[in-house]
Amino acid sequence: MSVGSNLTLVIIVPMDYTKFDDPTLLRLVTRQDENALGALYDRFSRLVYSMALNVVNDEAAAEEITQDVFLNVWKKASSYDVSHAKVVTWIASIARHRAIDILRARSVRPVNQEFSWEEEPLLEIASPLDVEKEAELHQRQQKVRLALTKLPQDQRKVMALAYFGGYSHSEMAKMLNEPIGTVKTRLRLAMQKLRQFLDEERIQESGSSV
Amino acid sequence: MLEEHIFDLIPAYALEALDAEEAQKAAHHLEHCPACQEELDAYRLVVVDLALASPQHFPPLPLKERLLKQVRQPALQNSPGLLQQLWQRVPRLSPLWSLASLVLILVLASSNLFFWQQSRQNQPKLRSISLTSTDAAPNATGMLVVSIDGEHGTLVVDGLPALDNSQQYQLWLIEDGKRTSGGVFSVDPEGYGFLWVDSPRPLSSYQGFGITIEPFGGSPGPTGNKVLGGQS
Repeated sequence: MSVGSNLTLVIIVPMDYTKFDDPTLLRLVTRQDENALGALYDRFSRLVYSMALNVVNDEAAAEEITQDVFLNVWKKASSYDVSHAKVVTWIASIARHRAIDILRARSVRPVNQEFSWEEEPLLEIASPLDVEKEAELHQRQQKVRLALTKLPQDQRKVMALAYFGGYSHSEMAKMLNEPIGTVKTRLRLAMQKLRQFLDEERIQESGSSV
Repeated sequence: MLEEHIFDLIPAYALEALDAEEAQKAAHHLEHCPACQEELDAYRLVVVDLALASPQHFPPLPLKERLLKQVRQPALQNSPGLLQQLWQRVPRLSPLWSLASLVLILVLASSNLFFWQQSRQNQPKLRSISLTSTDAAPNATGMLVVSIDGEHGTLVVDGLPALDNSQQYQLWLIEDGKRTSGGVFSVDPEGYGFLWVDSPRPLSSYQGFGITIEPFGGSPGPTGNKVLGGQS
């Protein structure tokens, strides 16, 4: 910037944070950039809120969890190493952990509630501008649901109990009246099969090896 | 004797389905085992997919503002904000003159921005140009945000190597092969920096942009390694 007869006025131009990728937004968060946090919120709040609500089944608690998750991101962004896992994975794991904590802190938990991925409503499109993103998301949803249908019934059952109900191995063994070793094996095999199927889908989509 | 891997426990750990004692042991092991941590990252991606396949719900609209209000509380602010960072970049004149010139800049900038926005109420306001890193700075990212009329711009970079005191980064505005300086800047220890672009002509008249490493204060023309570049 120069002064005198060559005075040049420079304008502060608002940034379009939607253009930044997740690691860049996280780095901006480490510099106390609340717009970057807002952009991460816009990108992932639906995922976080949905994860929370599908587990705790309580809107107020789901809101509290969502707020906690993003406050955690704000406070701990500098400690997260983006080179070892995706930002979405980190954020989702915070959400999952918090939701399970709250669920398990409740003195009464649903016992006979049916959990399933099978009869879920389609996504609502957030806005006309997001049609392409929503279409990609819908496609991803369909692939995951297809992968779940390929699991044997008993493996799908323990997956749903673990994911939606937040039950531990011993709790599921008691509920299902099965040996704990059987439950552990079913859950492990189910997750391994899902991972294998979804990794193959990702390879096909990207056209490159993982 | 090395502790064995816990690959069999990782899927349930990612789902938070381990019983408390096993979960504690797994957490302790993961602190020191990159191989198991890598497995965990892969299974956490599966959990993200499970979440995507589950019913999706939008959080209530006021939740975002509640979050940002909390973030603005002093207890959660622990490093200099943008204005403080700008202040640190103001040339060191006598304190009163520095303050007066900064106030003048902000007042003029605010009124200009106000009139600029008023005259462009219904038009798209910004265009962004991504800059691509080179081998000299493979982790760098950059973006030049330009007003639609091309008159004004801001450069933001991240991941650039910090330079010693004898060097700075310099932005070049490229037109018909000719390079004109857009200004010089430094980055903080983590590679973040920004520059209010000082251009003799509208930014929309340039076909390309590049950033090179130069002696402190800049050069008449590019002399050092190029770190970022992009096309208009």
